[in-house]
Formats: sequence, C-alpha cells, structure tokens
Amino acid sequence: MKLLIIEDEVSLNQSIVDFLTAAGYLCEPVFTYRDALEKIEYHNYDCIVLDIMLPGGSGLELLRYLKQDKKTDGVIIISAKGALEDKIEGLQIGADDYLTKPFHLSELSVRIAAIIRRKNFNGQSIITVGDFQVDTIGKTVTVKQQVVDLTQKEFQLLLFLIINRNRILSKNAIAQHLWGDDMDFPANYDFIYSHIKNLRKKIIAAGSEDCIKSMYGEGYKMQVA
Amino acid sequence: MKLFTKYNRVNITATILTFVFGSIAFYFVLHYVLIRQLDQGLRVEQQEIVDYIEKNSQLPDIQKNTKHQWIKVTPATEPVGKTKPRSIQAYNTSDDEKESIRQLIFSVTAGGQLYHITVNLSETETEDLLQLIILVTIGMIGLILLSNYIINRKLVARLWRPFYTTIASIKEYHLAIQQPLQLAKEPIDEIDLLNDSLNKMTQRIHHDYHALRSFTENASHEMQTPLAVIRSKVESLLQETEGKEKTIQQLLVIEDATQKLSRLHQSLLLLTKLENRQFLLNEAVNLTEIIRIKLEERGELIASRQLVFHLNCEEVVLAFHQHLAEILISNLLNNVIRYTPAGGEIEIDLTTKALSIKNTATNGALNSQKIFQRFYKEEQSAEGTGLGLAIIKEISSIAGFTIHYQYLENKHDFTIHFIP
Repeated sequence: MKLLIIEDEVSLNQSIVDFLTAAGYLCEPVFTYRDALEKIEYHNYDCIVLDIMLPGGSGLELLRYLKQDKKTDGVIIISAKGALEDKIEGLQIGADDYLTKPFHLSELSVRIAAIIRRKNFNGQSIITVGDFQVDTIGKTVTVKQQVVDLTQKEFQLLLFLIINRNRILSKNAIAQHLWGDDMDFPANYDFIYSHIKNLRKKIIAAGSEDCIKSMYGEGYKMQVA
Repeated sequence: MKLFTKYNRVNITATILTFVFGSIAFYFVLHYVLIRQLDQGLRVEQQEIVDYIEKNSQLPDIQKNTKHQWIKVTPATEPVGKTKPRSIQAYNTSDDEKESIRQLIFSVTAGGQLYHITVNLSETETEDLLQLIILVTIGMIGLILLSNYIINRKLVARLWRPFYTTIASIKEYHLAIQQPLQLAKEPIDEIDLLNDSLNKMTQRIHHDYHALRSFTENASHEMQTPLAVIRSKVESLLQETEGKEKTIQQLLVIEDATQKLSRLHQSLLLLTKLENRQFLLNEAVNLTEIIRIKLEERGELIASRQLVFHLNCEEVVLAFHQHLAEILISNLLNNVIRYTPAGGEIEIDLTTKALSIKNTATNGALNSQKIFQRFYKEEQSAEGTGLGLAIIKEISSIAGFTIHYQYLENKHDFTIHFIP
C-alpha cells in the first residue's frame, strides 16, 4: 500500500510517516506544492494525505488536478481550516474524507484504511488479524469461525483497535473516534472503560485470548502477533 | 410618515396660507385702487361744476343724471366744512334699489346763493369688477393646488423610486454574500450620491471583513498546526511508554491540554464568526430531530452517569442555520450532562415558542449576571472552556432568540424563547 503524505510542516509530516510506516504502509513525504504535483503526475497512490495550505499553492488545486486527470487515488484532506465551507468544498471537489487539525494519528490511520477498503472493493472487505475476521461491509466479527455479537459501538471500537493494533491508544483518541469532536467528555472517561470491558468479555467468551491490554487505565492496546 | 407626505402637508398649508393672505391683500389693494378711481371721477365732476360757475356765475343745468352718476343741488345756509368723498348706502332712483355709492358733497356760491352739491357715483360696477377678480383668483388657487397635488403624486413618487430601490437592496444586503453592493448610477444627484457612497462604504466594509476573516482563519491555521505537531509527537512517545506509568500519565496530561487548547481556539473562532454575523439563517431546521440525534449520540455517556431524561418535545421547525442549531443543542446538552450530578434528572420541554432545559442542581443558584460571560466559571474546574454559555447566548442573539436563566425548586432552568 503506497501513500503520499503532502504536508509542509516537516515535523508533522515526519510523525505521520513514522506512524503509518509502522502500520505497514509505504509512505512518501513531500513538502511543497510543486513536488506534490510532480509526484501525483508520475505515480499512483492508494491514498494521498493532503494538507490544504501549502507553500506554492493550494491543496485544493492539487485535488482538482487529480480529479481532472481521472486519477483514482484516494484523498484525505488534513487541514487546520475547520470551517464548514472548506470542508464542504473539499468533499465536493472529490476528496474522500476530511480531518481537522489537530487529529490523532490513530484516527488518520483508521480513515485511510477505510478509504483504501472502499477503493479496492473486491474481496478486500474482510480484515484478518490474529484470531479475528472482520467483515467491514457486513459489520460482523468472527473469532475462530464463531460470530461475536457486538453492538454498533463495540464493532467500531474493535475495528479501531485492530487497525491500530500493537499501539497504545489514549482514552481520548478512542472517545473521539467513537463519539466525534462535538461531544464534551468528562475527564474520567468511565464509560469508555465499561465499553472496553464489555468488548473484552465478549471476545474472550468467543474463544479469543485476552488481547486488549489496559495501560494503567490511561490507554489501551490490542496485542496481536 | 413619509417624507413626501410631510413635505406635502407643509407645502399645501403654506400654499393655502399664502393664497389666503395674498387674496385678502389683493382685495384691499384692488378695492383701494378702484375707489380712488371713483374719487377721481367725483373730483373731476366737482372741478367741472366749479369751473362752470366761475365762468357763467350760475349753476349748470344738471340734467345728465345716469344710473351710475347723479347730482343733487340743494340751497344751503352753511358751507360744507371738509369736502371728502365717502361711501354710503343710498337709494338709487334709476335702479330702484338700495346700493353702495360713493358720494362727494361740496358747497358752491352761485348768484349769491350758497348751494350744497352732492355728486353720487354708483359703486356697483366697481364691486362687480372686484367680485369677478376675486372669483378668478380663487379659481386660480384651486387650479394651482390641484396641479400641485397631481404633480406631487405622480412625479414625486417616480422621483423617489430609485431611493426605494436602493433601500430594498440595502435590506437584502448581507456581508456573507460575497459581493459588495453595486447600486446603479441615477440621474438625480442626491440619489446618485447616496448610491455611490453606499457602494463605496460596502466595498470598504467588505474589504475589511475579508481581511478580518482571512486573519482569523489564518490565525486558526497557524495555531492548529503546532498543536497537531504536539499531538502527533505525544502519540509517538506514547508508544514508548511500556512499563512507565508516570510517563504515560504525563503524556496524557499534555494530550488533554492540547485538546483543550484546540477546543478553546475553535470556540473563540466560532464566537468571532458569530460576532461577524457570518451565518445566513435561511435553512429550515428541525430542532426536535437535532435534540433526538444529539441525545442518541450521548446515549452511553448519559447511561454511564445514570441521568434520567424527561422529554416533552413538540415537532418544531425553525428558519435557522443547521450547523449553528447543532452547536447550540450540543452545547446545551453538554452543559446539563456535565453539571447534573450522577442519577440526577433533566427535563427538556420544546414548544414552538421556547426550548427549556431544567436539571437537578448541586450547589444552588448560578450567578445569572455572569454565567453568560466568557471564561466565567462557577468553580475553577479543569473541565470546560468557559465559553459554552457565551456561544449559546451569541447564537441565540443572532437568531433573534432570548435566553433566560432561573433557579426554581432546586433546579437550574435555561429557557430559550424563539419569539422575542
């Protein structure tokens, strides 16, 4: 899976590349409009992470260029401009998703995975990780051929953990993934703990090993080989 | 009252008064002139008689009495002191009626005998003339008033039309529309000046508004990017904390602070936009639906705090802005969910007139003077930006709603009235 990371802030670009490389993607970082245009012209990517405000031009122009050229690369915009109009404009031009800065890298990773799943539709809707088989279209999970009955939120949570497997995820990142930015969470996140607890119970009952680890109650990590 | 009506009233009153006083003056002047003419006639007659007597030393044969002028001669013993014409009512024998006449009495001596000679001139003709003139004058006044009225109605209405066109475009003008006003050139100087000034003014405002807008947006960009860097680095560091409880805790404190800063900034940005009135309220927004969705989103959170909701919502659709309505409802719900003690009760009543949210209180009434101020917090808790209620108030005020807080029976009650 090849990704193009277009972000002018060097250290942010570096973090994204590190995180996504660890998640198994092949990442190419670029920092300017001109370089990005060149890359887009000569290569194809599974997904492009696109910042809007770039030295030398606008990310939206790059997006227009991509769509004009009928390229099929998936595009996720990452922008500090949270303004609704910008979001709508980006999606109208043809971006697949839009993430407002500052975002969690784990969230970016899940969104990229979703875009790639949608793009390569044939046979790619099943994710197999460890004992788990997740059908992202049918929204079902099986552990060792046994279907696990999950609520919608639990399914979302499990998918988030699986895609960001072997990583420590803060409660904050989990809460924002499940409930969005708009909500205002109490500092203790008790209800996330109870969600994790229920999910854990269900997958253990289905025969999986206890792979969701609590990190001192501050974060969680799904440990699978 | 319209400027035109006001002007018309003053104008018509002034015109009528001018004409009335003018006519009265005209009447007296005319009357004076005509009477003087009669008097001259009388004097001429007197002179003729006196000349005749001087020449012939006897009275002239007075036979030329007409219906307009007749002379009477009476012998007398005393001379008439002052000879001045006067107006009297007298009997005109030839016309057989009483009428106004001008009379001059003087004394002459003819053949040693003193006579009083009375010369009478009828005023009838003069009066007829006067009457005619007055009639014509009144007719003219009427005509002038009528033509004035018609001109004002037709012409003035047409002259003012560009003015009303301008007013209509100003009314429809909104900063969020991406163009300054472009009012047409008008042949009337005043209207043209008005249009030109308005065009220039909106152009200036538009320019400033855009500068401000791009400034706030760029400021947002410049601040969110470093926050994104901090957050991404925290997330990377988090992966290296296996077995280090203290480090993970500290990193999460940093993450929380980043989160809070980002949220604070977004809230301030939103407030700025609200103050700039950057939103058009022209969408049909179903409040009931929004409340339902937002409650559903918070289902787990509500359950985890064992909050009891009592909903009493009518179907309410308002002309509003979808996104703002969502922010408004979210903020209200976030507030009650956060500040209601676990197991507390929340009551939401929605009617076409008002939305009221009541919740169980913990520490008595809030300071209703200060709660809507920015960054005011009842207790210095780490949670919340202190901007939630300020945003609620600002959104309410651009939508023309009013928000009230009251404390009743151990409950906080926030009510938004849709109709002021």
